Amino acid sequence: MLSQTLAAEVLSLARRGGADFAELFAEDTLTTTLRLHQGEVKDAGGGNLFGAGLRLLYGTRVVYAYTNDVTPTGLRDLADQVARARGGAGETTREGTGGLDFRRVDAAPLYVAREHPLHAAKRDKLALMRRAHGAAAGVGDVKTVDVNYLDRVQRVLIANSEGVWAEDERVWTRLTVSAIAQDGTLRETGSYGPGAGQGLEFFETATPEQIGAEAARIANAMLRAGYAPAGKLPVVIGNEFGGVIFHEACGHILETTAVEKNASVFADKLGEKIAHESVTAIDDGTIPGAWGMVTVDDEGMPGERTVLIEKGVLKSFMVDRVGSLKTGYARTGSGRRQNYTFAPASRMRSTFIDNGQETPESLISGVKRGIYARKMGGGSVTPGTGDYNFAVQEAYMIRDGQVAEPLKGASLVGNGAQDLRNIVGVAGDLALGQGMCGSVSGSLPTDVGQPHILISEITVGGRA
Amino acid sequence: MTQTEQLSIADARAYLLDRARERGVTLEVYGERGTSTSVEAFGGEVSEFKLEARQGVALRVLVKGAWGHSFTENLSRPALDRALDSAIENAELVAPEPGAGLVAWPEPPALDLYGEGLSGVSVEQKVQVALDLDRAAREADPRVVSVPYGGYQDSDSQRLVGNTAGLSREARQLYALHYTAPLVSEGGQNKMKPDWQFTREFTELDPTRTALSAVEKALALLGARPAPSGTFPAVISGECLAELLALFAGMFSGKMVEEGKSPLAGRLGEPVASPLVTLRDDPTPVRGLNSRAFDAEGCPSVPLTLIEGGRLSAFMHNAQTAARAGTVSTGHAARQGLQGTVGVAPSNLILQAGDTDAAALASGLTGVRLTGVSGGHAGANPITGDFSLQAEGFWLEDGVTAYPLEVFTVAGNILDLLAGIEAVGNELHDTPDAVSAPDVRVGALAIGGA
Repeated sequence: MLSQTLAAEVLSLARRGGADFAELFAEDTLTTTLRLHQGEVKDAGGGNLFGAGLRLLYGTRVVYAYTNDVTPTGLRDLADQVARARGGAGETTREGTGGLDFRRVDAAPLYVAREHPLHAAKRDKLALMRRAHGAAAGVGDVKTVDVNYLDRVQRVLIANSEGVWAEDERVWTRLTVSAIAQDGTLRETGSYGPGAGQGLEFFETATPEQIGAEAARIANAMLRAGYAPAGKLPVVIGNEFGGVIFHEACGHILETTAVEKNASVFADKLGEKIAHESVTAIDDGTIPGAWGMVTVDDEGMPGERTVLIEKGVLKSFMVDRVGSLKTGYARTGSGRRQNYTFAPASRMRSTFIDNGQETPESLISGVKRGIYARKMGGGSVTPGTGDYNFAVQEAYMIRDGQVAEPLKGASLVGNGAQDLRNIVGVAGDLALGQGMCGSVSGSLPTDVGQPHILISEITVGGRA
Repeated sequence: MTQTEQLSIADARAYLLDRARERGVTLEVYGERGTSTSVEAFGGEVSEFKLEARQGVALRVLVKGAWGHSFTENLSRPALDRALDSAIENAELVAPEPGAGLVAWPEPPALDLYGEGLSGVSVEQKVQVALDLDRAAREADPRVVSVPYGGYQDSDSQRLVGNTAGLSREARQLYALHYTAPLVSEGGQNKMKPDWQFTREFTELDPTRTALSAVEKALALLGARPAPSGTFPAVISGECLAELLALFAGMFSGKMVEEGKSPLAGRLGEPVASPLVTLRDDPTPVRGLNSRAFDAEGCPSVPLTLIEGGRLSAFMHNAQTAARAGTVSTGHAARQGLQGTVGVAPSNLILQAGDTDAAALASGLTGVRLTGVSGGHAGANPITGDFSLQAEGFWLEDGVTAYPLEVFTVAGNILDLLAGIEAVGNELHDTPDAVSAPDVRVGALAIGGA
C-alpha cells in the first residue's frame, strides 16, 4: 500500500516532538450494500473508504490525527500536524529517517476467502438475496420482507516506530432478513442476520433459505404473543446470539478501556471468583472465518485466544497497547478500530461462554415459572455501574418445566457483577451469533456466543 | 492504495458533473468535508488528543428511471471515475421508480450556523476546557470516585450538493461542545450520569456549570431502592420523553410509511395523540444540533408540523418518497454520512411546551418519575411502536420525590403513551439527540422491578 521508505519517514517526522511511539494505519476499504424490499432491488450502493491515521504516544497520552489525503505530501503534512499537536516541536530526533528496520509480522491468514466478494458479480449476490426472500415471503402471516446484503473488504497497513510492519486483508460478508408478520392490526417482526469473516462460500453453510426461514419463523411465532410479565424471574437464555448477555453484562467491563479508568466493577478482581463455577468465558480472535476473527489486530499484533473467566475465576482482561501501558497487563491482540478515523482501543472479538454439562431440556425442566428467551435482540451497558439491558426478540413462558405460550416485549435488565453469579446452569450446545458492537473505537464486527444457560433470577421488563 | 493527487470536494463535484454530462448521465453529487478537534481528559491530564480531517463525495445517478449509489473518500480522478462507473452499474440492478428525477430547487433560507468561528481559539484554550471540566467534576463532591468520560470537541464542516439539473449549493457550519460523565459511589452503589453543553460560540462554554450539573444528577441516583413491578401514574422528564421520541422518529418517515413499516400509515388527519400534543420538526433554529439550510438533495429547509393538537398532520418526505406519495418534498432527504443511500430523517424534533409548571405536573402523584431510558437500539420497535427498556428514575410520594430506584424496566407503546398524556410542562429540555421536549404526566406506565 505504501512504501517502507515513506512510512519510515512519516513515523520519524511524527516523532519529532519527542513521542515515545508512533504508529501509522492506512486503509483502503471497498464495500457493497444491496437491499431487496418485497423482492425488488431498492438500493444498490457501496464505495471506497480511504485514509490514514497516525497515533503518537507520550507516556500513556494519545495524540491521533487522520486524513484522506494519502499522498506523500498529505502524509508528511499529517506527520507535521500530529507532531505539533502536543505543542512545540522542539527536540528533533532525525535518527532513522527513512531507515526504520521494519519486521514483517509473521501471521498467516486464519482464513482465505474462496469466493472473494470483489470477484463475484453483483447479480450473484442478488441471486442469494432472492433465495432468502423466497424463503420468508408469504410464510404464515409474513407480509413484508427486507433482505440486506453487505460485503466489506478492508485492506490495512500498520507500521510503527518499533519496526512492526503488518498488512492484512479482512473480508466480511453478511445477509440479514427482516420479516414483518401481520394479521389485521397485529404486527410483529423477526430478523436474522448471520455473517462471517469469509467470502460468499459462507452461504453454503448458512444458506439463504435458512436465514429467510428463521426470520419468518420468529415473526410468526411472535405475532399472536401476549405481553411478557414484569418482575424478577428465572430465565433460560438460548444459545448463539443469546451470548449478547455476557457481551454486555461482562465483556465490556473486562476491556482495559474500562478497567484502566477504574470504570469497571471487575478492575481489582483478577484471580477472584466473580461468577458461578459453571461459567468459563473466552474471547477468541483466532477462529478461522469467524465474524470476529483478527489475523492481526489493528495494532499489528496477531490475534489470541484469551480465557477471561475459568470456572468462575477472573483470569484475564482484554488488553490493547495503551491499556497495557496503563495497567501493566500483557497485550492480548485486542486493539481494534472501526477504521482509520479511530485510534484503536481494547475491544472484543468472538466472545462466548464455553460449553457446560447440562442440556437445554434439563435447564428448562427445572424452572417452575420463568422465561425462555430463545432469540435475543441487542443490548447495552453503562461502564462504571455495570447496569445493562437487552431486548428479547423471541420469548416464551416456562410453566412447570415446560415451554408454554409466546411472549412479546420482554427486555432483561440487571447488573453484570451480580448476575454473573446467578448463572447456575450451562448446557453443551455452544454456537456463535454475529453482531456489530459500538464503543469508543467505533462499530466493529464481533461474535457473541454461548450454549443455553439458566439464570436463577433476572429482572424482566414486560407489561403484564 | 493509489498515491495520486487528491481533489477538493468542490473540484471533485465539478469533475464528476462534467464527466456525467459527457456520458449523458443524470447525476447528483453530495460532498462533505470536516475538520475537528477533540480532547479527552482523565485524572487531571489530557488522555487523548485527536485531530480529524475527513472528506468525500457520494454519487447518485439515474439510469432508465432507476437510482444507483456509490461513494468515495479517494478523490483522485481515477477513483472518481471508478465511483461513477460503480453508481451506473448499481443503477442497472435496481428497479425503476415512477417520478424519479433531480430538481434544481429554489434558494434555501439564509442561516448562519457558523457564528464567530474558531479561528481565534488556541489549542491550549480547547485543552483547558477539557481539563477544567474534569477537575470541576472531580472536586465537586467527595463521592465522585472517577470521571471516566469527559472532554471537549469542535467541528468545522462544509457540505455541498450539485446535480446535472443545474443545482449548486454549499454551506458551512461549526459547533463546540463538551461533555462529562462522573462516576459517584456510596454504600457500595455506583452511579453515573452524563451532562453536556453544545454551542456555536466557543466563549459560551461553561465547564464548571456542566460539571456541577452532572455530579448533582449522578448523586441524586445514590441510595436507590428496588422498584416495584406494576402499572403506575408517572411524570416523564423532558429529556426522557425526547429519548423516546428519538427512537420512534421513523414513524413519521414517508419512506417507512410506503414500505409498510410505520404504525401511522394511513392515519393522516386522525387523532394519534392527546390533544395536548403538538410535534414539529424545525431545521432552522441557530442553536439546533441538526439545523441546516437545505437537505441532502439541496431542497430548502422549512419547519414542518407532524402532529397538531393530537392529530397527525404530515409525514416527512424527500423528493422520491414525495413523488410516490403524490405530494411534494418536505425537505427531509437525509444521508447518514457518505456511505448510505438517500433516506428520510428529521432535523430537530420539538414537542411543544404546554402551560403546566413543574410542581403542578407532579402534584398529588404517587408513582414514578422517569428520567431516562437506555437500550433503545434493541428494545424499541419503530415498526410496532412497542418498547421495553432499561429505565432510570425516582419514586414519588404524593408529588414529592421519595427516593431513587434501582435499575428497572419500562414498557409500553409510544402511541399509547402519547395518547395518555394528561398534562404538558411549560419548559423545554434540549437533548443530544436533537429532540426537545417538556416534562409530561401520564396516567399509567408499566414498570418492572423487584
